[in-house]
Amino acid sequence: MPALLELDAVSKRFGGLDANRDVSLVVEEGQIVGLIGPNGAGKTTLFNCVSGFFPPTSGSIRFAGNEIAGWAPERVLRAGLARTFQVVRTFPEMTVLDNVMIGAFARTNRAGEARARAAELLAFTGLAGRAHARGADLTIADKKRLELTRALATQPRLLMLDEVMAGLNPAERAQAVTLIRAIRDRGTTVLLVEHVMEVVMPISDHVVVLDSGRKIAEGPPRTIVRDPNVIAAYLGEKYRPRDEGTA
Amino acid sequence: MNVDLRSRTGRWLVAAVALVALVLFPLFVGGGSWLNTAVLVLLYAGLAQAWNILGGFAGQVSLGNAAFFGIGAYTSTVLLDRWNVSPWLGMPVGAIVAAAFAVAVFFPFFRLGGHYFAIATIALAEILLILFTNWAFVRGARGITIPFVRGPDRRPTDSWAFLQFNESRVPYYYVVLGLAVLAVATAVVVERSKLGYYLRAIKNDQQAARSLGVPVLRYKLIAVAISAAVTAAFGTFYAQYLLFIDPETTMRLELSVLIALVAILGGVGTVVGPLLGALVLIPLSEVTRSQLAGSGNTLDLVLYGGLIMLIAAFQPNGLVAIGDRFRRRREAVRPAGDETERGEAPLVGAPGTRN
Repeated sequence: MPALLELDAVSKRFGGLDANRDVSLVVEEGQIVGLIGPNGAGKTTLFNCVSGFFPPTSGSIRFAGNEIAGWAPERVLRAGLARTFQVVRTFPEMTVLDNVMIGAFARTNRAGEARARAAELLAFTGLAGRAHARGADLTIADKKRLELTRALATQPRLLMLDEVMAGLNPAERAQAVTLIRAIRDRGTTVLLVEHVMEVVMPISDHVVVLDSGRKIAEGPPRTIVRDPNVIAAYLGEKYRPRDEGTA
Repeated sequence: MNVDLRSRTGRWLVAAVALVALVLFPLFVGGGSWLNTAVLVLLYAGLAQAWNILGGFAGQVSLGNAAFFGIGAYTSTVLLDRWNVSPWLGMPVGAIVAAAFAVAVFFPFFRLGGHYFAIATIALAEILLILFTNWAFVRGARGITIPFVRGPDRRPTDSWAFLQFNESRVPYYYVVLGLAVLAVATAVVVERSKLGYYLRAIKNDQQAARSLGVPVLRYKLIAVAISAAVTAAFGTFYAQYLLFIDPETTMRLELSVLIALVAILGGVGTVVGPLLGALVLIPLSEVTRSQLAGSGNTLDLVLYGGLIMLIAAFQPNGLVAIGDRFRRRREAVRPAGDETERGEAPLVGAPGTRN
């Protein structure tokens, strides 16, 4: 069976800047894949290319058997690939329930059905008690949870989370990890973008590391943390272990 | 009174009482200037409601809705003038023409954001105004006079078939009441449907909406088509009400601005707002004009403008928000405790406690 998401030599150039250069990666159905890298590594750009917000300059993006490079975001979403935003984009003037209903409407035209699905998902993610609060009135942690719920309501096969852990305290992070595992267990594949390594390592089945727009390493978490290229990328060349890895 | 007016039954009750009062209204005032004011209130309530579908729900502020109004007035009137087609047929034809025109013209307009969009809509109505003023086929600046329907005795008479009432003005009131009810019903259906949810999402954050599968451009075009069609229907009515149209009366900028103003001062994005706005603003403008304008000074406009400024300054969310203000005060007095019924968070930590 082919992989759910397959990127082959994806590049994105902004003028003279190579934000992504020849990035290839594979996400298998049922996995939690972590995409990490220092600030400015090109993670969010890659995300935007995959989710249709930017067309890639070159390369191929295959999702569930379709070549989706250059598709509009709404079409990518309908194909079963949902995302959240690094900087939260809740609908501020709408209630939490209405926010989630917008996601649910991707799969139904009937308001009653959308409302029922939204309520069910709010119970799953633990926001049911805030269903009638306005989006603007939530805390950052709740806003992030709302975005995740909203994306889930579109019934994605692959959920891409852009730094959902950023800005959360350790207790909130632990709860987010539990939730992401629960989402995977419901049958949704997860691609997780983070720049904080500690939160990605415990839950990822597979980790891809970007630095300066290129992929510098990939593999299971325990080998990634020892990879000399990764250590150098995060801590600086000075800390590169003496036994040099493949460059 | 024990019925909560904000509950579902409460709202239906208010709507039913209001409708009965509106139906009975002419019995109490006869056919004088109050009837004329009431016709104008209903006209602007409907026009503001139509504006609200695009400007309120979707947040795309148009200052060119007079273009659709004019297209509606001209389509039915030209059909009547040249081919003796009944305005009842001209009205839906005008609505369709206006909707098609709106979709074609707004397709590029929707690439513009914020103020630039509003400016483009002003230009649209102004261009149309100049075009019609110089277009011989629609009799240019001289306008079109709709001939009277005459009875056997050659006197102007009433005709439901040709939407023209010369003996009593009361039927006009019921026609515009019917149209206003139709406009409100349209807004209510839109508000509760997927379309209404998507439009509000577009107003809140277009990028987020796209990320959730909302085809933003398509839904804006649907909204402007509905808005234009409803506006055009009122244009036909207005032509029949005056029995004369020219580009100035149907497409001038003040008309576009007044439509938006009624909706904005009433309360954007709600069904009640435009109704409330029309109910306050239109009689106000009529009264200030009839009481003060005769002296030749412009005191009526000063007073009218001053009141608009007061509403904008103290009630920036529109007149509908006055109710919210009192409600909040009441709830502040009530002892706290309602907030504690928040659900437990089974998977992720306690929900935020800010409110």
